[in-house]
Formats: sequence, C-alpha cells, structure tokens
Amino acid sequence: MSDATIEVRGLRKRFGRTLAVDGLSFTVEPGTVTGFVGPNGAGKSTTLRALLGLDAPDEGQALIAGRPYHALRTPLLEVGALLDAAALHPARRGRDHLRWLAHSHGLPVRRVDDVLAQVGLESAARRRAGGYSLGMRQRLGIAAALLGDPPILLLDEPVNGLDPEGIQWIRRLLRRLAAEGRAILVSSHLMSELEDTADHLVVIGRGRLIADTSVSELLHAASGDRVRLRTEARTQAMELLAREGGRVAVTDRDTLIVTGLPASRVVELLTEARVPFAEVGAHRATLEEAYMELTRDKAEFTSATETADEVTR
Amino acid sequence: MTTSTNTEPETTPTPYRSHLHPTHAGFPRLLHAEWTKFRTVRAWLLVLVAAAVATVLITQLSASGSVTSGGPDAIHGPDGTTVTDSFRFTHRPLTGDGSVTARVTGLKTADDRSVEPWAKAGLIVKSSLRQGSSYAAVLATPGHGVRMQWNFTHDTAGSDSAVTTAPRWLRLTRTGDRLTGYESADGANWSKIEDVSLSGLPKTVQVGLVLATPGHQDVHRSFGGSSQSSGGGRATATYDHLTLRGTSTTTPWTSTDVGAPTPNAPAPHNARPDSTTTVTDGTYTLTGQGDIAPDQGGPDIVQMSFQGVFVGILFMIALGALFVTGEYKRGLIRTTFTATPARLKVLAAKTTVIGAVTFVAGLAAVAVGYTLAQSTLRGNGFGPPAFPDYPLLENPALRAVLGSAALLSLVAVLALAVGVVLRNSAGAIATVVMLVILPQILSFAFPLPAARWLLRVTPAAAFAVQQGVKKYDFTSHNCLPEGGCYPLSPGNGLTVLAAYTAAALLLAAWTVRRRDA
Repeated sequence: MSDATIEVRGLRKRFGRTLAVDGLSFTVEPGTVTGFVGPNGAGKSTTLRALLGLDAPDEGQALIAGRPYHALRTPLLEVGALLDAAALHPARRGRDHLRWLAHSHGLPVRRVDDVLAQVGLESAARRRAGGYSLGMRQRLGIAAALLGDPPILLLDEPVNGLDPEGIQWIRRLLRRLAAEGRAILVSSHLMSELEDTADHLVVIGRGRLIADTSVSELLHAASGDRVRLRTEARTQAMELLAREGGRVAVTDRDTLIVTGLPASRVVELLTEARVPFAEVGAHRATLEEAYMELTRDKAEFTSATETADEVTR
Repeated sequence: MTTSTNTEPETTPTPYRSHLHPTHAGFPRLLHAEWTKFRTVRAWLLVLVAAAVATVLITQLSASGSVTSGGPDAIHGPDGTTVTDSFRFTHRPLTGDGSVTARVTGLKTADDRSVEPWAKAGLIVKSSLRQGSSYAAVLATPGHGVRMQWNFTHDTAGSDSAVTTAPRWLRLTRTGDRLTGYESADGANWSKIEDVSLSGLPKTVQVGLVLATPGHQDVHRSFGGSSQSSGGGRATATYDHLTLRGTSTTTPWTSTDVGAPTPNAPAPHNARPDSTTTVTDGTYTLTGQGDIAPDQGGPDIVQMSFQGVFVGILFMIALGALFVTGEYKRGLIRTTFTATPARLKVLAAKTTVIGAVTFVAGLAAVAVGYTLAQSTLRGNGFGPPAFPDYPLLENPALRAVLGSAALLSLVAVLALAVGVVLRNSAGAIATVVMLVILPQILSFAFPLPAARWLLRVTPAAAFAVQQGVKKYDFTSHNCLPEGGCYPLSPGNGLTVLAAYTAAALLLAAWTVRRRDA
C-alpha cells in the first residue's frame, strides 16, 4: 500500500437509530483531488471522523497509508485535516493555535510562520481567533492542516465562507498540492464548488456509495455525445439525420437533440442537404447537472456507470 | 451492490513525502503543547492570578477580624503539646523501681449529671507534681474501657470493661525508665496493657491514685453558629487494696489537686474546696475534677491562616473544568485528538499541566497568605506562650501550606476529570462545587453525626490538612465543624480528596477512550 492513500473499506457507523455510514468503500490515490460529495447528512463528516480516529467504526476500516489513524506515530506529518474551521478558542491568537499544534510534534516555530505565509494570514496571525471572519478561520484551518507538510489532506467543506477570490485561491492551492503527489479528499455538499478542482468524485447518499468515478468520465456519461440543434426546418432535419443513423429528440418548437452523430457530421449533412439551421453545438452537462441526475432517483443500489448510461434527455 | 469505475489519473505521480523530519510525539512535547494552550488564553492566566489574590486577601481579612485578649498561660506536655493537667492525686514518693496496685471499685458523678465517658480513675506514676510533667497511668473509664496513657498524647486501649459496672484491678510497675501497665478482673490473673519508656524520669517519682473527669459539655448548634457550655463534672471514685511495693519514704499518702490555682501553696490551700479524699477501712474515696489530656479546645492559629483557600478553590475549579470543557464546547478537542490520537496521553498531559500550574500558584498564595495572617494574628493578641510560633518552614505550618496547595491543585484536577466525563463547563463546575464546598456548609446545619460523616466521606475532608493542632480521639473534646474541627487526620483527609480525584480520572480515562470525540 502506498504511503499516500486514503482507504475506506466496508465502513459502517451507527448513531443511536441512525445509520450514518452504511458499508462505504472507496480509495483516494496520490496525486488527485477527490471530491467527496453528498447532501448534508449523507455521512461525509462521519467518514472523515472515522478516518481521523475520532469516531470508532462499528464495522469496516478507515485507513491512512494502510494503517488505522491511531497507529500513526506522527499523525500531523502524515495527514493534514480540516474538520471544522470554528474549532478554535476565541481568546487564543491564530499563531498560538498553530504553535501548540507544532509543539505537539516538536516542529520548529519557523514552520508556523511558513504555513501562515502560505495561506496569506501573516497580518492577522497575532490577532485573537475570536475576531476572525469565517474565511480567515478557513485559512487558519488549512494552515493547521499543512503544518506537518503531510502527503494526505482531508478537508471538510473548506470552501465554506470563502469569498470568490478565496475560492480561486483554494482551487489553485489544491491543484498545486495534488500536482506534488499528495492525496487530497475534499468534501462538499455542493458539486459546483468542485468544478475545475476535483479529478475524481466519491458521491454518497444516506451513508452509501452512489458513485466513485473520475470527473471526466462522469461528465462524458452525463453529456453523452449529444448535439443540440436549432432549426426552423424541424421535420426536414429530423428525417435527414435519422436516415444517416442519428437518433433525434424534439425538445421544443425549433430545438432538436441529436444522439449518435458528432456535431461536425451533423453540420456537414445539413449543409449538403441545404437544410437551414441557426445553431449546432455539443451539449455539455455541468458537474451540477451530472450530480443531479446521479442523485435524482436516489438510485442507491444502481452502479454509477449504469445510472450514467441510462440518462436520457 | 455498487461497482465502481476506477480510472487512473492521467499521470501517475510519485506519492508525496513530508519534507519535515518525523519527530516522535513524545510526552514532553505533549506537555509543551498543553502548556502553550494554557498560557495563550489570557483569561485563564487572569483566573489563576485572581485565585491567588483572592486567597491572600480573604485570608488576611479573616485574620484581621480575629482578636484575642489572651488566655491563661498554656501548659505544655513533654513533647510541647498544649495540655490540660489537673486532677485529684493521692500519692507517695517512690524511689527507684517498684510497683503500685489498687482495685477501682466504682466511679460515679458527684453531682446530678451522668458520668462522663472519659472520666478517669486509676493509678499514675508522675515525675513531679508540676503540671505538664511526664507521667504514665493505667486508667479505668466509664465509656472507653481500661486505658494506658502516658505523656498526654499517647494512649493504648486495654480491655473494654466499664468501671461503672464491675470493679477492676490495676497495676503500674516501674523498672528504670520502663513503665508497664496491667489490669485484672480478680487480682490474680493479670494481663499487660502496654510497656512504655519514659526518658528522663527522675529517680524519685510520685505514685498513687488518680481521679479526673472533664466537665460536661453542652452544645447548642444552629445553622451558622453554635454555643458550648461546660460545667460541673465532679466525680467520685472508690478504690481498695492499694499497695505500694518498692522504696518509699515512710510518708503517708498525701492528697493534692494537681493544677489547682496555687499548686505550691501549703495545704489546705492547695486543695479545691470540693475535692476530698477519705480513707475508711482501706477504701479510698476520691472526689474531684479536671483532666489529663491534650488541650483541644483553643483556637487553631495555623488553621486560621488559611481561610482564603475556601474562595481560591472556586477559581481553581473553574480553571480545571474550562481547560478541557472549552475544547469540547468548540470542537477543538477533535484537533487535539487528531494531533495526538493517544487520548490517555492527552489526558495525562492536561492533568499534569493543570495540576502543576494550580499547585505553584496555590503554593505561592497560601505561603504569602499564611505569613501575612500569622503576623496579623500576632498583632491581634495571638502570641506565645499560649499561641506558640509556627514557622512557615516547619511542621505543622509547612504541612498545612503544602497540603493547602495540594488541595487547590487536586480540586482543579478533579474538575478537569469531571469536565472530560460531562463535557460541559457548567455541569462540571457545579458537580465539583457540590462535592467540595457544599458538605462544608451542610456540616454546619446537619446534626453532629451526619456532619462528621459528611466531612469524612466527601472531598471536603481534605480541609483537615489545614489543622495545626493535632486531634486526638481519646479526649472528650467536641469536634464541631463550625469550630474548624475535621474528623480525619490531615493526611487521611487529603487522601480522601486524592481518592476522589483518582476515581474521577479513571472514569475520565475510560470515557475518553470509549466515547467518540
């Protein structure tokens, strides 16, 4: 097992009568940003807490670099975690919060100043954390996660409370950290936050795995090879394209969705047959759309691939 | 079930490795982390300072309000203990080795009251008639059986036969410095009670019959105060078969009231008007009063110099609880356990830090408070010889100061442990205040047996550590909570609190391991 993997195997955790996580399994590989997505209450935080040794699983395993968390001798050097940005003592200065963490691993205080610079919090470091905005707390939490320069990062909703500039910053940061070969798991209840950030997605609902797929594959499946066509000669175009092997669906008075023919071929055929058309384009699903389709019918027992394949517009 | 489509990333990068040198997260580093946590919250430092200042101020205030006009000169026993030493004594000198034997045939009151349980009738060997001089005695009592007592602070129980129901034979033998007490039901079969050595006993000593009875004490308690009245307590004892073996001058048996107002005046002034000794057909009847015992009644000026600790404790409880419940409240405990998954080590580090911090601050506060209060009390009339000096660096003051600092520290750790179990500041603080402070207050209101029980079995027992005067259980002194008397010895009292703290820590350890953070 590689040094920089996160592995969840058959994880099950019950709180009273609620089954928070129900037989969840997935793996996060080094060099990727994996989005961990699901609605609020889907079991994301419970899974992260189990990975960090905070909650004991009822069944299954949650492993960091192949080992349970409590077996890590210097955990901050192996995993950086941001669970709750509000988990600060309001009277303690930001820098002091990082200092006690550094002391717990015998890390030099220089390292505290390094990560403060890395998250752009130098100017506020000597202020009390109670006066921090949510965005500053997120930055301090990320600084704490980076303190041990760990190969694995677990971030629970890190985008929460960040301004647009902050969101851009964290996307670039996560891309850069992943490019260095780190394994990064970022949870979010909003798929759109992970657009342009995540390479891979683990989608859960009600504690169960819904999809474990790469972002490109998911988008491809959701988009299919569909072409969106606007034409006033609807009947003519439908006959022509159907004859050439395309499947054509009508969405409104002048819009057709064509499946089975690439956009270039559609343009070629329409031009040759002198059928007038206003607009031809590839229909590209957003990550949000793909996610909505995945979770629409709560198809928890259906595999991610099947779900994506069955999607029709 | 689910099938997952695993797609490899476009490039397979080399897994990242931390560039930092992996240093083992040892216990000293954990202490460093927890200490940093403590000192970087300014409010906690202020609470610590407030605890120390309040302790000193309240102690000083209390000492300023205590005034005495000075009592009669205290009598001190051979070991320096303040003692009561007055009794009816029918005696002869004995030179060298010898023994005295007598049968105590009765002991009853000479007035209308019931006989005191600690009334004493028996035999004594005393180095002189001077009060406070060394002695050894075998004594029959109405309520506590037969005893051998010597030099005021030592006591060995013999049989539990009550002199009021059956006569008892007693014998006291001197061999050099050694004195041996015996008792017998029939004068034929003797059993030894104790064999003691009295160093410095002169060659000629006074031996004979002794009678003493402490005054009867009536206590009227009401919440917030109590009044004691003592009075009467004259007793009459009868003896026969009095024999003295050994070298004695031919002087006849003489009767003296040891400790009478003018003990050196010639007879009859040295006898109290109501003390008598009559001899009829070998039966001696002694009537008198007094006691031979450590003096437990006077103010304890050591204990009076720690009144502020009671207030300091409240701050320490808050500090101990908040140090951990603050982390639970904000979820910071998860960060702590993420940095150190070994939760018991975290608990140990927190305990060490809060214990050390509160001990050091508490020690400084009680040492300063004690020193100031002692000087104030001196100025208010509590001076030697009735109130001897108790230097800070000698027992019992040293023990009381260190013990009070330990008390403050143990209470803070107890609050921390309860905080781990309850995860709630208000609940933890209320629980510990109820355990430590409430029994004190209730003990003023409860009937004596219940009050004493409370001060034995609750952590409030630890306040016994502030007592400067040693308590002896073989005296008739009323141990009243409002008088600052705790039923347990200083060491045992502190042990009760330590046991509560240890139990709470065990429970905390069990909880912190078992429950999800």
